[in-house]
Amino acid sequence: MSLRVSAPEASTRRANRRPGRGAALAAFLVTVLAGVALATPARADVATSCEFLEIAAKQGDKPAIDAELKPIEKKLKKQPFSTWNQFKLLSHSQKSLAKKKPEAVGLKLGSATATLVEIVDKSKVRLTVTMDDARGKQVTNNTTTVEAGDYVIFVHEVAGNEGHLLSLTCR
Amino acid sequence: MSNARKAGSDLELMEHADGELDDASAGDRFARHPDARAKLESLKQVSELVRGHLELSADAVHDAKFAAMWRRIDDQLEAPPVRQASGLWARVAAWFDHYRGHVITGAVSAGAVAALALVLRPSAPDGGIAGPRGGAIDVRPAALRATPEIDLLDTPGESSTVINLDDEDGHTTVIWMTPADTVEGI
Repeated sequence: MSLRVSAPEASTRRANRRPGRGAALAAFLVTVLAGVALATPARADVATSCEFLEIAAKQGDKPAIDAELKPIEKKLKKQPFSTWNQFKLLSHSQKSLAKKKPEAVGLKLGSATATLVEIVDKSKVRLTVTMDDARGKQVTNNTTTVEAGDYVIFVHEVAGNEGHLLSLTCR
Repeated sequence: MSNARKAGSDLELMEHADGELDDASAGDRFARHPDARAKLESLKQVSELVRGHLELSADAVHDAKFAAMWRRIDDQLEAPPVRQASGLWARVAAWFDHYRGHVITGAVSAGAVAALALVLRPSAPDGGIAGPRGGAIDVRPAALRATPEIDLLDTPGESSTVINLDDEDGHTTVIWMTPADTVEGI
């Protein structure tokens, strides 16, 4: 066992010794990057949160709109929805959509998928929505560019002069 | 009382074996008693075993570790003399050299804070229902929003009508689908 280091080797080690300046500068850069990360809103995680409301609509004796439909109640009282006066919430789901990743939307009647195609101008989403009816037949395949906070409402007329609605809005 | 006890206690025997017993006559006293001699012999053997084990362990340490230790010792013993910084950049660099630990600690703290801020950052202030991770898009005032654009609309077996509604809450695009046979029947 030898713990001795020859003089030339020791001097070589001294010559190769790092001054530590690089580490300090690296630390400074990390600090700056951390500051930039704090100051810049993160948009790398391209995703949007969309709310889906599945609604059954029909004409009845008395008007009735489920309390959960409050956000779109005003719209439902106007044309063209005034064909019906009773609106019942069938399902409500909130989905976080990642870019180009189809997300299944659970429906009571049939099924639906939603895909975020892209985010446009930081305030709009381009979405592809497909809807199948209860028999599995596709009723729509739609791509729409819509502003965050605005609504797209799919209305499918079904037997008995009733309506099957799917409302969506993204933020 | 045994012969060994007469010769000395175990503690005295151990101190004698380690060379820590001040009593000069102890060696002769222990040598006269067979039990004490046997215990001393055993103690010496155990000491040899322990010493040999430790030396083997030390030999097992890789030379690179010793080299690293020497390098650290060299660094600490022969630190370069403090040079007088000349120029602004040299002064800044010298300051960072001097306070390297503080800077690294600050950087790590800032990184941790940034990570927390990114994770816990609230979603856009819109008054609506926020998603699980918050939205990645801006919700503009309703008056500034553009009309929705239909890029593709396929309604197999259905007749479709697109209606745009505007109100103070913004735009609403209604895609109305009527079974084709119903339309034909009308």
